[in-house]
Order: sequence, then C-alpha cells, then structure tokens
Amino acid sequence: MEPNASKLQQRQETAEQTTQQPPRQEFATVEEMIRYDAAQCAPPTAIAHRLAESISKEPKPARSWWRRLLS
Amino acid sequence: MPSPFPTSESLRADASKPVDLIDGRAGKLTSPPAPAPSSSEAGPRSRQRAAWESPEFGAMYEEYSRPIYYLALRFLSDPTQAEDATHDVFLKAYRKLGEFRGEAALRTWLYRITINHCRNLLQTWHRRNMVTNADDSVWETTVSATDNPLRVLEIKELGQRIQRTLDALSDEYRLLLLLVADEKLSYNEIATLTEQTADAVRGKLHRARKAFLAHFQKIA
Repeated sequence: MEPNASKLQQRQETAEQTTQQPPRQEFATVEEMIRYDAAQCAPPTAIAHRLAESISKEPKPARSWWRRLLS
Repeated sequence: MPSPFPTSESLRADASKPVDLIDGRAGKLTSPPAPAPSSSEAGPRSRQRAAWESPEFGAMYEEYSRPIYYLALRFLSDPTQAEDATHDVFLKAYRKLGEFRGEAALRTWLYRITINHCRNLLQTWHRRNMVTNADDSVWETTVSATDNPLRVLEIKELGQRIQRTLDALSDEYRLLLLLVADEKLSYNEIATLTEQTADAVRGKLHRARKAFLAHFQKIA
C-alpha cells in the first residue's frame, strides 16, 4: 500500500502545482504586447553611472556679468 | 500552386485574429504569466543609484530612461548600441535643457532627440557595415531580474520574437508601433514626432499592425 499511497500523493502534488501556475497573460492588441515587453526591459544600471560621470565632466555654465558683479 | 505569401484578405483576417505568442497559432496573444513590473519597480537600478550633480536631472532620468532605452533598443535592434544611445540622448538633453522652452512635453522632447539620434546611427556607414555584437549574454541583461528562470526564458523568447518581427518591418512602421505603445503619447504628438498628420498616423498604424501580426505569426 505504501508505494501506491506515495504515487497518489505525488500525483496530487503535481496537480496542485499545475493549478497553482498563474495563467498566461493575454494580449488583445499589438501595442499591449509591446507595452508588456517594454515593462520587462529595464535600462542597465551602467548607463546612469556613465551618464553621471559624463555630466560631472561637462563645463559649468558661465555666470552672467551681473551675477559676477553682485557676488 | 498556391502563393507562399499571404494575400491582403488573409492579412486582414489575421490582423483581427489574436495570436498565440508561444507557438504562433491563431488564438489569443499570450505571454508568460505574472504581471509586468510597475514603473516604480526599479530593479537593479535601486541597488546602487548614480550620484547626480543635479537632483532634477536625476529625477528626469528615473522617469524617462525606461521608455527612451526601450525605444532605442527595439529601434536599433542592438542592446549595446541602445545603451550608448540612451547615454548620448540624456547627455544631449542635459546640454540642451536650457533651450527647452516647454512648448512640448518633456517626454516628446526626449523622444525627438532619441529618434534623431537613432536615425543618424542607422544611416551611418559604420552601423550599416559593422557586425552586431548582440549575443545572447547581452540580450539577457535587458530582462529585469526575476526569481523564476523559466519565466526569464519565456520573457527573453518573447522579446527576441518581438525584435525579429520589428526588424522585418520598415523603419517607419517600427517607429510608429513603438511610439503608439507608449500610452502617454497622443496621436497628435506621434504625428509631430514623425512629421505627418494624425490621420496619416492612424492609416499607417493600421497597416503597421497588420504587417506586425503577419510577421509575428511566421516567426515561431
């Protein structure tokens, strides 16, 4: 009886796992599918760091003559 | 002998038919399970934030980097070039921020810079003659972090299938579909960005959707 009981338990577990899987997402339109794809594509972290570094090397905007005069 | 190419009637019928994303048969457009992450879900970015000189610019980057990167990624069809393009677009925006008069929305202004930048890249001799280095490992980095490896695979496959479909379309159709997928852009803004009337955008979009579906079904 033991092997039969374990088989039954296995089957039940498999059935539970199958029913627990969330349903596939459905798309009504092309745009919806592209939107979903866009939500999965995060920009790599490296871009922000490269950009912050590039910006730090940018020349500071020159102060106007009246600001220099007032300071 | 029947023609291997779909007729205009079959395309019309196909355009109205949903598609099974996994095996390409007619049915519902389906994707891997689980909801898409929200825009507030930063993923790896949140682990180590860049130190911005200007907090306002940092906020602008946080808000718009995702749509700009996605447009560059799917328009250029190369993750490495998309990464460089996103960097260059935001650097240009930083330099020109003083010239931004607020006549258009910031999103539209950034899209304008991105479209011009990507078009220039696509037209350069280098781009047309170089061999892409977009191997699988590079593509994998574009998918957000998730715990389920099966889901990562499904998302990757979906992304690659969408990319191959977009690659089969003309630049104009590809751009229109990518822009219209951004819900925050109106038809008038898309018309301005693509330098045509809103009616022309609607007409071309109709054809672009049909062409997308026809190619999508062919690509298994």
